[in-house]
Amino acid sequence: MATSTQPAHAERGSHRPRTSGPGVTFGRVLKSEWIKVTTVPSTVILIISTVVVMVGLAALFAWSMSLTAEALSDPDFPAEFQAPAEGPGSPGFDALMAPSSGLIFGQLLIAALAVVLIASEWTTGMIRSTMVAVPRRTPALLAKTLVVAVVAFAVGLGSALLSYLVAQPILRGEDIDFAITKDGVLASIINTGTFLALVAIISMAIGILLRNTAGGVVTAVGLFFVLPLIVQLLSGLADWIPDAARFLPGDAGNQMVSITTLEGDLTQWEGGLVMGAWALILLVVALLVAKKRDV
Amino acid sequence: MIEAQALSKRYGAKTAVDAVSFTVQPGKVTGFLGPNGAGKSTTMRMIVGLDSPSGGHVTVNGARYATHRAPLREVGALLDAKAVHTKRSAYNHLRAMAATHGIPNSRVKEVIDLTGLGPVAKKRVGGFSLGMGQRLGIAAALLGDPHTVILDEPVNGLDPEGVQWVRHLAKGLASEGRTVFLSSHLMSEMAQTADHLIVIGRGRIIADAPIQSIIDGQGRARVRVRADRPQDLLGSLAGDGVTSQVLEPELIEITGVEPRRIAEIALRERVLVYELTPLQVSLEDAYMQLTQGEVEYHSGDPAATPDSGAEEPASIATSVEKGR
Repeated sequence: MATSTQPAHAERGSHRPRTSGPGVTFGRVLKSEWIKVTTVPSTVILIISTVVVMVGLAALFAWSMSLTAEALSDPDFPAEFQAPAEGPGSPGFDALMAPSSGLIFGQLLIAALAVVLIASEWTTGMIRSTMVAVPRRTPALLAKTLVVAVVAFAVGLGSALLSYLVAQPILRGEDIDFAITKDGVLASIINTGTFLALVAIISMAIGILLRNTAGGVVTAVGLFFVLPLIVQLLSGLADWIPDAARFLPGDAGNQMVSITTLEGDLTQWEGGLVMGAWALILLVVALLVAKKRDV
Repeated sequence: MIEAQALSKRYGAKTAVDAVSFTVQPGKVTGFLGPNGAGKSTTMRMIVGLDSPSGGHVTVNGARYATHRAPLREVGALLDAKAVHTKRSAYNHLRAMAATHGIPNSRVKEVIDLTGLGPVAKKRVGGFSLGMGQRLGIAAALLGDPHTVILDEPVNGLDPEGVQWVRHLAKGLASEGRTVFLSSHLMSEMAQTADHLIVIGRGRIIADAPIQSIIDGQGRARVRVRADRPQDLLGSLAGDGVTSQVLEPELIEITGVEPRRIAEIALRERVLVYELTPLQVSLEDAYMQLTQGEVEYHSGDPAATPDSGAEEPASIATSVEKGR
């Protein structure tokens, strides 16, 4: 506005914003979210926990596989309890699952991380600072979701690779170690990362909708962990229940990393698509709600 | 410049802000004064788009806040000192805010020095005192070197030195030609800082004027008079809205008559007047008169009945005495 319309203040300085100065871009919002994610202790704690738990479980898994293989090679082992010596069900085949064997707990920790990172914005009031700096809510929340999804992918991929490396010496004793180039192994390792990224997106959406850390964590754990157990208990009641259960995020996600596909199970790709659909729908709903709501 | 037009906010059946229209001009400090719950914070939140209006609209520097390309360069807002993640350090908080606009870290260090946060900048915000939190909020508001500054209750929790600092800061920003809009429920604070006042009560604007005219307009003229025959003077002065109080045999206080009129009557009545002092009405008095009936939460007077807010001081005194 022209200061000349304000004669009383005409002699005062007329501060103008540097119109050529930088504005908000999606890249800058990403950088801001990266700073935010990396400067709270919960991120570091949960990421380390996730890696330790996943790699630790993989080591235990490999150890139990090698014990089974050892027992099987014992001539005194009763034949009726014997697993097949090769193919699906044999220790040598099941051992291929080692890289992603920690996923069941890894997904819970990543879900907790994602919910904590987004819901704490509301519980601490930080969201008001965030939304004042970036008043367009969709890009602001998308940037955080993207950053957390990338972190989750990296944690999943890294944990799966580490798990692979830790499992090999354990399996080598029974000669059931395997190369990373073996059919389906690399895809399973990469999909461990993809699955955790999708878990993170679903959990972010839950966090945005509930705006509450405790409630969000409970809901996410319920969705990924408790719901499949309940459905399993109820599966005898009706034929459609196990059919429908394949499309739960946890079950579909497990298919993403599995190397064998049993009759009636979703394939790796189908599992990925189902999981992706969950993530996309929940995220869109969360963003629409956040756009309408007062902060 | 901030322009609100018929701005409203309803929460269910309750109307927090009721079709308010006002303009906050650059180059001066505009105070936003009102009792708790009057709608100050809600109005400020609508200005920066945190709450969406139920009706009307508000623009900052000519456009809706969310449509600005660089919002932090247009408006710096302190809305809530605790709008910070408690586990993050002040420095990292400001760094993250600055990153959204590509504001360099050198500016982050500048606002830290400017607000005196230096010694605690690397500490977690969770351990901050309310005053430090306010300083951090002000630092964040200044990051983008904005043309318009909005501060909601900025002196809350500050020590006297901090209060004075905010006062100088607000005046300094205004003298640079910026728009400064700050809210408070403390009239004494406004009297010392603001050039212009917007008074709000129960969601409605009840005054919007330069601070001096609010004081002049609300307080009826009050004059202290020393005269040798005050009763004669009072007899001739009696009329509509004129009240008087005899403080000493020769000292009276007259309300509702201009000093010149008193002098004229004294001359006509041949009363010797040896003091004629116009008394300033405090902003506090003006504010109390303005907001009477607009206060949402009245504190109950233990000695008075609930709706006797306009009781004469004398009767309160007697009822207190009866209570003893």
